[in-house]
Amino acid sequence: MTVLNETTIRSALRAFIMESFLFGNTEQAFDDSDSFMENGIVDSTGILELISFIEEQYNIQIDDEELIPENLDSINNLVSFIARKTAKMG
Amino acid sequence: MKIYDLLEKSAFQFGERTAIIHQEERINYRELYRQYCLFTRFLDSLDLPGGSRIAILYENSINYVGLFFAISRAGFVAVPLDTSQKPDKLGYIISDCSAGAVIIQSKYHRVLKGIMEHGKSLEFIISDKEIKADFGEIEFHSLSGINTDGWNESLSPNDRNYSEKFSGELAAIFYTSGSTGTPKGVKLSHKNLLSNTYATVEYLELKPEDRIMVILPFYYIYGNSLLLTHIASGGTIVINNNFMYPELILDTMEKEKVTGFSGVPSNFMILLNKSTFSKRKLESLRYFTQAGGSMAPEIIKRLMKAFPNKQIFIMYGQTEASPRVTYLPPDRLSEKIGSIGIPIPGVDVRIMNEEGFEVPTGEVGELTVAGDNVMLGYWNKDDEENQVIKENRLYTGDFAKKDEDEYIYIIGRKKEIVKAAGNRVSTKEIEERILEHENVAEVAVLGVKDDILGEAVKAVVVLKEGCVGTSRDIQKFCREKLADFMVPKYIEFTDALPKHQSGKIDKTKLAEI
Repeated sequence: MTVLNETTIRSALRAFIMESFLFGNTEQAFDDSDSFMENGIVDSTGILELISFIEEQYNIQIDDEELIPENLDSINNLVSFIARKTAKMG
Repeated sequence: MKIYDLLEKSAFQFGERTAIIHQEERINYRELYRQYCLFTRFLDSLDLPGGSRIAILYENSINYVGLFFAISRAGFVAVPLDTSQKPDKLGYIISDCSAGAVIIQSKYHRVLKGIMEHGKSLEFIISDKEIKADFGEIEFHSLSGINTDGWNESLSPNDRNYSEKFSGELAAIFYTSGSTGTPKGVKLSHKNLLSNTYATVEYLELKPEDRIMVILPFYYIYGNSLLLTHIASGGTIVINNNFMYPELILDTMEKEKVTGFSGVPSNFMILLNKSTFSKRKLESLRYFTQAGGSMAPEIIKRLMKAFPNKQIFIMYGQTEASPRVTYLPPDRLSEKIGSIGIPIPGVDVRIMNEEGFEVPTGEVGELTVAGDNVMLGYWNKDDEENQVIKENRLYTGDFAKKDEDEYIYIIGRKKEIVKAAGNRVSTKEIEERILEHENVAEVAVLGVKDDILGEAVKAVVVLKEGCVGTSRDIQKFCREKLADFMVPKYIEFTDALPKHQSGKIDKTKLAEI
């Protein structure tokens, strides 16, 4: 993944999370490495919205077995996961 | 007898059995009892009068369990707080119950400022770790600094050398989310909670060998029931707070060989639609319990099909009833699907009309409850209390009917009846029909203002993965199954329905969208 793509993906993910779950509340700042679960940023309903967003935005299909923290639980994890999925698609 | 006696009895009887498992931590009853005694001694040392309210903002954990029972033992009243709540609502609750102290897990430190701004009654803030903040005149204590000197390993009750503060019959106050937006504090006595615990242990046939998978928060009355029933029976509580990743829960269930799983309808829907749940064997699992709202027959049937050899207990209750009111015996599930079953031991259920008389079999009325499980009342809300408790019966606000076998069926919430063009419409019935559509994963139906009808029916639909649907499809489907006036005028599609932390659909938030 090129640096530009990765930056774009990070920005898009952060914007979606800020808008959808934190309602633009800048007091709840979080780092790219922060766990959504540990920090209460996304809950069990929110994760489904996030998955839908990612599938639509990046044209990928996320399988049930892939719904694990290693793939989804931080911006860093999401970027790596999206990179792997889009690379498989060629 | 008080609720902490459940823990003390089990500690003596089952000392070496595992009480709680939380990720890599495990603790047996003897060690849990030690922690509980140390917490009790610490809380007793606080300069607060007996009966003071102590709020607790803590995720499900070993510490939560020890602290919850210790609050009681030290002569105070526990007020479990919703960890997902905003600071202003938490502050409202603390102010409403005039809490003298709050025990707050350090990971929730962000809400401290809001809590201190609103919680003028607070004298103490206690946390698991040191927190750097300006506490003003409030005294801060860290649990990590608790003095363990003088602890005697003997399990004799005479080891206790702290004062016996008297908190009366009130054990805990559980705040409900309510549909009006203002939380109400439900006052539950030791008798309320103990009677309900023992009745539930009886019909679930819980034994020390049972191991319950707990994903529901302990601050939610259903989660609290899981805690009390399994401590009472000497069982093991397996905690996993990560339901947002269902595969982790399923892995835990297999690894820890749990015998029971308890959830609300959305938990089961997520497991059935968005995980490998149906493909797992879960060999140790003996039973499921489901409460926290009506689960559509379609979903129950899918659960039965996926796990034909497991018992499924459909249950009903409300915070005001401690919470359990009825259960559906698993061996009657197939023939009575859609029913909430029969009263639990020791509880009397009658369906009453508006004049206060019991209605005949098959007729609809309001479900009322009498028994040792009925709450003492609402904290500081006598007017509302008088509306729901009449002649020692709790009026639940649910419309129901009984069949010829005395099995009860919920028709809908008083507040969930929509008057569309003059017709009274049950949102529950519409939701159940829409869920029969093969492309629909979840749905919530509500009434919305309409210029022509006054009030109209709106359905908010979540489609299954990879499925498509239009408003027209759903309406056409409804027309085949429902009376015309019940067909939703408005249909909206969404990726996920807003939910409370407990997993129950948040219809208040839905109405605001």
